[in-house]
Amino acid sequence: MPPSRLLKHKGRPRHAPDAQWRRGIGDVALGNSLSADIAPIANALILGLSIASIWLIAALGLAIIYGAIGVINMAHGEFIMLGAYTSYALQSFFGLPFLLCIPAAFIVVAFIGLLLERGLIRYLYKRPLDTLLATWGVSLVLTQLVRLTFGSDPKYIAVPEMFQSNVQLGFVNLSVLRIFVFALTIVLVAATAFLFYRTRFGMQVRAVMQNKEMAASFGINADRVYMLTFALGAGLAGVAGSLLGVLAIVLPTMGTAYVVQAFLVVVVGGGTILGSVVASGLTGEFQSVLAYVTNETFARFLLYLLIVVLLRFRPAGLFAPAKARR
Amino acid sequence: MTNLYHNRSAQWIVYALMFAFLAAIPLITNDSFLLNQFATYGVYGMLAVSISLSWGFGGILNLGQGIAFGLGAYGMGMTMQMQSQDPVSNPIPPFMLNNSLDHLPALWSPFQNTALGFILSLAVPTIFYVFFGSLMFRARVSGPFIAIMTLAMLTALYTLILDMQPYTNGANGIAPPAPLKLLGAEIDPYSVASYWIVYGALLFVTVASKLITQSKFGLVTQALRSDPERVRFLGYNVASYETIVYALSGLIAALAGCCLVMLVQYVSPAQLDVNFSIGMVIWAGIGGRFSLIGSMLGAFLIQGGQSYLGDQFLATWLLLLGGFFILVVRFLPKGLAGLLELSLGMIGAHMQPKDASRPQRGAEATSKAEA
Repeated sequence: MPPSRLLKHKGRPRHAPDAQWRRGIGDVALGNSLSADIAPIANALILGLSIASIWLIAALGLAIIYGAIGVINMAHGEFIMLGAYTSYALQSFFGLPFLLCIPAAFIVVAFIGLLLERGLIRYLYKRPLDTLLATWGVSLVLTQLVRLTFGSDPKYIAVPEMFQSNVQLGFVNLSVLRIFVFALTIVLVAATAFLFYRTRFGMQVRAVMQNKEMAASFGINADRVYMLTFALGAGLAGVAGSLLGVLAIVLPTMGTAYVVQAFLVVVVGGGTILGSVVASGLTGEFQSVLAYVTNETFARFLLYLLIVVLLRFRPAGLFAPAKARR
Repeated sequence: MTNLYHNRSAQWIVYALMFAFLAAIPLITNDSFLLNQFATYGVYGMLAVSISLSWGFGGILNLGQGIAFGLGAYGMGMTMQMQSQDPVSNPIPPFMLNNSLDHLPALWSPFQNTALGFILSLAVPTIFYVFFGSLMFRARVSGPFIAIMTLAMLTALYTLILDMQPYTNGANGIAPPAPLKLLGAEIDPYSVASYWIVYGALLFVTVASKLITQSKFGLVTQALRSDPERVRFLGYNVASYETIVYALSGLIAALAGCCLVMLVQYVSPAQLDVNFSIGMVIWAGIGGRFSLIGSMLGAFLIQGGQSYLGDQFLATWLLLLGGFFILVVRFLPKGLAGLLELSLGMIGAHMQPKDASRPQRGAEATSKAEA
């Protein structure tokens, strides 16, 4: 990693994750001078898909926690950060291959999420605004704990040999790592959707979502459903962390860079899985195309503005669930 | 009056005591660095009052108070910058020349006039809040969504200011070379005069907010904090009440932004940092959001702790702050002021003759909202 990129990151640590994503995006280049008109737009669109997959993976766990439990988890970014640090620690201290670090990060962060839910969140279900604040406190604590343990200097997760090459895809040249992230995102979303819509546990979650008391009277242990859902969401954030950590650099403050965007994806999507997929696709493409027309920072400004206006007209997101939330 | 906490005269006495204490500070010390620092705490106090007004009394959890604070600060920074530019010989701030602008942008020209600059610094954020607030509240956006929307707006504005390098000097911010000139006199940020200016602003803001919360308007906002639907059914226009209380808190934050730039002669996108805006909410949360003075003391306590303990143990300090905040949210939703309310209530109940305690209960419940 050249020092200039490092400095750039330090200068704008929180709100400029795009600057960190360069490791993959920089490889997207014009493959062919043959069709100079279509190529930049095709480039922007494919870049948009890539951004969308990153936003989606960062938002997936949050969407589950928010959609199923109604908890606004401000510590989600720190779960991502913990996932990244878990992968970093396992890889550099125990020599675990990166592909095994991903499930390990899931398990570790899911366990931390479980502890958090049991120790704090479950007392606050009736006070949604207070969960927002309490989880913000949690995010402060987690950031500082990691900073005290690992220090404030950036860490790097080594990219496995097999992901270091590039692939020619039509007009554009993509790094295998980003294709892997994209594919894994699809797999995770499909697995989550399967879990929620095709299994007994998923049915229980949806029942509790719709009416907690009624579900409880049918013998569903709502407390346990909440606990497992929260842990699952946290675990997905851990997976996101190990992927985002390998795409960019690992820092104690890296979580805040993703959490606002993840929230926007979830809120625009209305808290459902499908909604999040569509919302991240739209926002990723918007960001990429607007960035092509103007520039990266101004594109983000326009995007946030668009989202605020959208929420004015559809306060419950693009795909509002049929039932009102508690 | 079982609980002394709800006694209005007692409340005013506490406010008077605090302001008397703050007024005594320049008499005790004439260390200019310390005075400047205490004046900065006054700015934080104003921000805490603004959060308490919108969140504690209006029920609007505003995570984007940096919008008004930052816009006010930028307005003041531009005004001070233009004071040191000569309209004829040297009309353009140096950083614009570095960004190859050859004439003063239209955005900046009103700030050549100091009075107009002041008015704009306060009016632009307030009008923005009126516009943005009515946009949100008319759509009946509520609770956590307001938090997310204000956060998104704050982040949008932050990126915009970073992006408009030729007009705002981007991440470097604007550092006016000379202190503020007011009515021909130069106000040294390290002087007693600037301390008194901030003191006056804080006093005005606090008394005005206190009077607002005790008025009929304040009562309605407290009612809609608890149950907006019921207030709507009673025939009140909830959206306009919410917009007004939101805009008022924005006006206070803008004033705080102006004061800060007067004190530090510097403004940068850091004033719109997400963590700082959420920090304000933490002050009010720990101090007690239902109490203006509680929020203010929370701000003094946390910022003071940060500057005196935090320099050596910044990491540990933030860790403790986070942990303490979690505990407060979990066990003391009304903050430290709520703890005082509880203990005064227990003392009051203890002093009460036993047979009289029963009918007093109802009275206590109704006056609870007035804190």
